Amino acid sequence: MARRRVHQYLPLPAASLALVLAATACGGGDGGGDTDTLQVWIMEGTNPDATSFFDEVGTAFEEDNGIGVEVEFVPWQDAQDKISTAIAGDTLPDVVELGTTFTPEYADAGVLHDLSGYIDDPSRFQQEMYEMGVADDAAYGVPWYASIRSIIYRKDIFEEHGHEEPANWEELRDTALDLAEAEEDMIAFPVPGDAQYSVMPWIWGGGGEVAVEEADGTWSSTIDSPEGRAGVEFFTDLALEDDLSTTGAVNWNEIDVMEALSDEQAIMAISNSSNPKAIIENNPDLEDRLGVFVLPGQEDGYTESFAGGSLLSVFEGTGNEEAAWRYVDLLTNGEYFERWGEESGFFPAGVEEIEGYAESEDPLVQPFATQLLEAGKSTPAVPAWSQVEAEGVIVKMQQDILNGNASVEEATDTAAETIENILNEGN
Amino acid sequence: MAPRRSKHAPLLSMRGRRALLPWALLVPPLGVIGVLLLLPIGRIVWLSFRDFKLRNLVSGESDFIGLSNYVTLLTDPYLWQTVLVNTLTFAVVAVVTTVVLGTLVALLLSTLRPLPRIIVVSCIMVAWAMPAVSGTYVWIWIFDVDQGVIAQALMGMGVVDPGGYNWFADRFWFYAIVTLNIVHSGFPFVAVTLLAGLLTVPKELYEAARIDGAGAWKRFWHVTFPTLRPVFAVVTVLSTIWDFKVFAQIYLMPGGDVGGSEMLNLGVWSYVKSFGQNDFGMGSAIAVMLTLLLLGVTIVYLRALFREDELR
Repeated sequence: MARRRVHQYLPLPAASLALVLAATACGGGDGGGDTDTLQVWIMEGTNPDATSFFDEVGTAFEEDNGIGVEVEFVPWQDAQDKISTAIAGDTLPDVVELGTTFTPEYADAGVLHDLSGYIDDPSRFQQEMYEMGVADDAAYGVPWYASIRSIIYRKDIFEEHGHEEPANWEELRDTALDLAEAEEDMIAFPVPGDAQYSVMPWIWGGGGEVAVEEADGTWSSTIDSPEGRAGVEFFTDLALEDDLSTTGAVNWNEIDVMEALSDEQAIMAISNSSNPKAIIENNPDLEDRLGVFVLPGQEDGYTESFAGGSLLSVFEGTGNEEAAWRYVDLLTNGEYFERWGEESGFFPAGVEEIEGYAESEDPLVQPFATQLLEAGKSTPAVPAWSQVEAEGVIVKMQQDILNGNASVEEATDTAAETIENILNEGN
Repeated sequence: MAPRRSKHAPLLSMRGRRALLPWALLVPPLGVIGVLLLLPIGRIVWLSFRDFKLRNLVSGESDFIGLSNYVTLLTDPYLWQTVLVNTLTFAVVAVVTTVVLGTLVALLLSTLRPLPRIIVVSCIMVAWAMPAVSGTYVWIWIFDVDQGVIAQALMGMGVVDPGGYNWFADRFWFYAIVTLNIVHSGFPFVAVTLLAGLLTVPKELYEAARIDGAGAWKRFWHVTFPTLRPVFAVVTVLSTIWDFKVFAQIYLMPGGDVGGSEMLNLGVWSYVKSFGQNDFGMGSAIAVMLTLLLLGVTIVYLRALFREDELR
């Protein structure tokens, strides 16, 4: 019987060899060159659900070009890992949405296709954003939408307690203090720890610079100047001294802040222009109960806020660059360019389109447009900047202060030093 | 199924087939190990000697820089003061806790009747079967600083101020939560493995010990433990390996993914360096160090195990 067994299993060496070959063969021949469908990665975060919009764009694209489109939604936090892995494994999509702050790094790395030959009129795009994708006369991205952060507040609660939109920092603080007392169960003004773009306005508003290029080409950061510190201190003291936030907010990112608003926990918070729609989508009860005001200046005017947004880029070497460009063009020109703005709450990144919004009657849109046009500011357009974000320099500074692990002086010192090291080493 | 018979004459003699059989059976696992384990390890060692950034990932070309990554790594105070301390302390505490708890549960299980035993084993299997990511999110949720069950309870009892306390920002409490998570998902394996061993210990040994007047502790220490020493060695080695390279349970925690934070361990640091900061050479050097550390620990364990075997 034992012999019979051995005899029966004789083909095993061949079978196992085949298995090994099959297993190893899976590694190769996966990337690029697939012209049947266009692979598109779109980021998702604090914007409303975008599935139906992209279904429609995909159908329109397929009708005109005969190529299907497959859109994959990638959470912002995972974008970088996913792209790195795809580069290494040669499984890049054809089109990708890249945040403005990350575009210079990918442009510099040589992974993106130069689109300058296709773009007929670069001047119709918002120029600061267009520059983010430019390196050595090549254009590695097409501005798609701009996003900006101002303050969303609960209009009903403001009215109930007789408050107006604050016009400077002191009024903002007084309003929050008063509302915190009136609405004991609510968070008057969340001070998040894991949301760097909510910290930057206070640095700028106080008079500091996150990073600025000197005449000799080196970078310096004045977060640790008295002005920068004053801004950071004002913001963190809202939590530490005035108790207007909540302890858990140290771990919050922008999505958590938005959820605090849509769960009717927070009264006002620094929020993205795409948030009002998403909040009302989450909690329809809040319709007509939200308002927006531009971040007020320290004394008067406005405080500058981080103007971000996204470019659409085409990856190099997929064999689909031509079709990919046509898809990018479809999204950044004409009907869908504007419709995406209307549906998402972001601003189409065209000069004319944005200006149209400044006269908008919509109280949930107009203040954001004002912020973007009059008090928007971006981070340095250098490849090394993304390292500052990846390392979480500003997040760490903010969390160290809020957790009481470092004073404002110590934390701003460390942050300024780290930013200078990263930016100056990279050049 | 009817047995199939080959109509062709055999290519090899019976003896030749016999000699080939073990190798034939070994080819698939060896192939899988080679492709899935040795190849990536080789690649990581290679990477650790190179200046490899995002740009190199795209172009595929990179420069050999000798031991430069290792020199930077070993002279970084962050390694000695934070990462290594976190990795080692956590591993020791987690392994000891997991094995002790697992042993206690195994001893309990061995005294149960079959039906209750099946019920208890099924229950602890659920903890084991929980995927690391979902498990971690449940723990984060339980320990949520504002709304979590623990926070609410402690605030209700007045142990914690009504404002709450951010334990995720405190290295000790951060790792206490990680330990809870790891022990919770790790003890069932130890318990079930030891239970299998316990059931093979001859009853006569315990009877003899009892007649000699040994109490519960002495029976465990002089009968159970020596008999099951190899089983203990296996669960300890495996737990050590798992706890040294724990990743998701730290990375997903608030503050567990910020570069330069005092919560990182070697595995997470390697990932943050590679994928966050796109310094793949440096990330690989950290990974190689973690591997060497693990190999070292495992060799020490195995030598201890074999020495004991020779003595007996």
